[in-house]
Amino acid sequence: MLRYLARRLATMVPLVLGTTLVVFALGRLAPGDPVQILFGDRGDATAIARGRAQLGLDRPLAEQYVRFLGRLGRFDLGVSYAYPGKPVSELLAGAVSTSLLLGVLAVCVALAIGLPLGIAAALRPGGVIDRLARFVTLIGIAVPFFVVAAGLVLLFSLRLGWLPVSGWGQPRHLVLPIVVLMLRPMAYILRVTRLAVSQVLVEDFIRTARAKGLGSGAIVLRHTLRNAAITIATTAGLSLSLAFTGAFVTETIFAVPGMGRATVTAILQRDYPTIQAVVMVYTFLFLTLNLMMDCLYAALDPRVRYS
Amino acid sequence: MTGPRRRAHLSRWAVGGLTVMGLLIAVSIVVPIASPYSYRAQRLDEMFGAPSAQHWLGTDHLGRDILARVAYGGGISFLVSGTAVLVQTVLGVTVGLIAGYSGGRTDAALMRLTDVILAFPPLLLLLLVTGLLGPTLVNIVLALAISGWAGMARQIRAEALTLRTRDFVVAAHALGATDGVIVRRHLLANIATIAMVRASLDVGPVILSESTLSFLGIGIQPPTPSWGAMIAEGFSHLRTHPALTVIPSVALSLAVLSLTFVGDGLTEAIDPRQRRQ
Repeated sequence: MLRYLARRLATMVPLVLGTTLVVFALGRLAPGDPVQILFGDRGDATAIARGRAQLGLDRPLAEQYVRFLGRLGRFDLGVSYAYPGKPVSELLAGAVSTSLLLGVLAVCVALAIGLPLGIAAALRPGGVIDRLARFVTLIGIAVPFFVVAAGLVLLFSLRLGWLPVSGWGQPRHLVLPIVVLMLRPMAYILRVTRLAVSQVLVEDFIRTARAKGLGSGAIVLRHTLRNAAITIATTAGLSLSLAFTGAFVTETIFAVPGMGRATVTAILQRDYPTIQAVVMVYTFLFLTLNLMMDCLYAALDPRVRYS
Repeated sequence: MTGPRRRAHLSRWAVGGLTVMGLLIAVSIVVPIASPYSYRAQRLDEMFGAPSAQHWLGTDHLGRDILARVAYGGGISFLVSGTAVLVQTVLGVTVGLIAGYSGGRTDAALMRLTDVILAFPPLLLLLLVTGLLGPTLVNIVLALAISGWAGMARQIRAEALTLRTRDFVVAAHALGATDGVIVRRHLLANIATIAMVRASLDVGPVILSESTLSFLGIGIQPPTPSWGAMIAEGFSHLRTHPALTVIPSVALSLAVLSLTFVGDGLTEAIDPRQRRQ
């Protein structure tokens, strides 16, 4: 297991270095001189030259890149263009935890609904639950987040007045964003669970168990789920990444101060230091997520470790 | 050929999807030509008009004809997404064939590249690429294709890997056919069906991505209408005039749903094993 982990970590190194290179290039190629932007209209030529020297922008590119890596190591992500004087790391610190909280909650809800529904659907193919499950899956996959969000806001916030339209800070602000965010992960979990369980159900050992006289409850719990577990466990990782990408739209609609909204705002404002930081944060986030899923996979299925 | 020998039977749902999609495309072509209203002509004395004989779907917050905007926006969306799918299919097939056929270092290098792209969710790549290049139509197409080709490349490579060892390829080699001829005449012919089905499955998600981008304000820019941007504009009038949001939402959902049915239907038609029990 440790050797597998080490091997996986080693493959990540070039990826991370590559990303830092892209992010660095991005900062240098971005339109507009950062110093000019920081000074605005009031800087004269000597002040700007001093500013450039201060930021190290007059050094060779290679040296700048090494310094850039050093700053990344200290979580110094530069100063925002859009909010002059504010360090980007300060702007994003709260956003990351907000989005993580929202994403993890949404995936928990999605698992809580999708798993039992998927198992029930597989046990009685063509039944009422199966048909309901197919409908939910279809909606979750084909209807955009913002359409669902519009419908929910219209019904629960504007017509019924039960929930706030948008905002952040109270538990009731969490409800609509989580409902919207969990829809696609739930559809995905539902589909994979249904497929995994129905594939195990036709195996010989299930027929044997049934022939032995085992009750259907015991068959589902002891034989079916244990074998479908590997497939189902790996859905959790993709579900989280679905929830993180859903955050761009969901956080923007419901005014949630998370990474999704920060990313969209930074892009709209062409705030390059923030965009650079966002790319690094997401790279780290998704690489960690992928690594965790690979480890889970390797822990559950010995064949992966030794291949 | 690995394609179906008998005529492919599409499911009822797929035929329904094709019909709805055909209607949507027809509307997006006919209305901009036949309608007396332009998608951008503002009439501030006709704001929030109810559906009438003049404006079949009413007018929006700037007095623009909603039908003209939904139709034109749909046309733009189909055009952008269709082109993007075409570009990413060509890119994916090319890379997949090269990787699968040449093997060795080329294969390893190209597959590492797809690893990098697939490590990130497509929407994130899409947002960043469009955000950085700037939201012009060409850049949106490019960004959609860049974030979408890797999956296709993987699948085509897998196919090419197995095809490479098949007798007819070995025979072509023995007869002195060059690599270029083998790839073009033998491999390409055999992966064409798979590539087309995969492409048909890609259209729905690409339309979804494009509309998401436009909804966030990073995609197609006003005054050019797009369903995503129309829904975003409608949001501020959701309380008083939900129709502004509902109409483009219905159009978008209908399009993506029908495309999902069509894609699933085509997949089943060429590979009956994937038919759901």
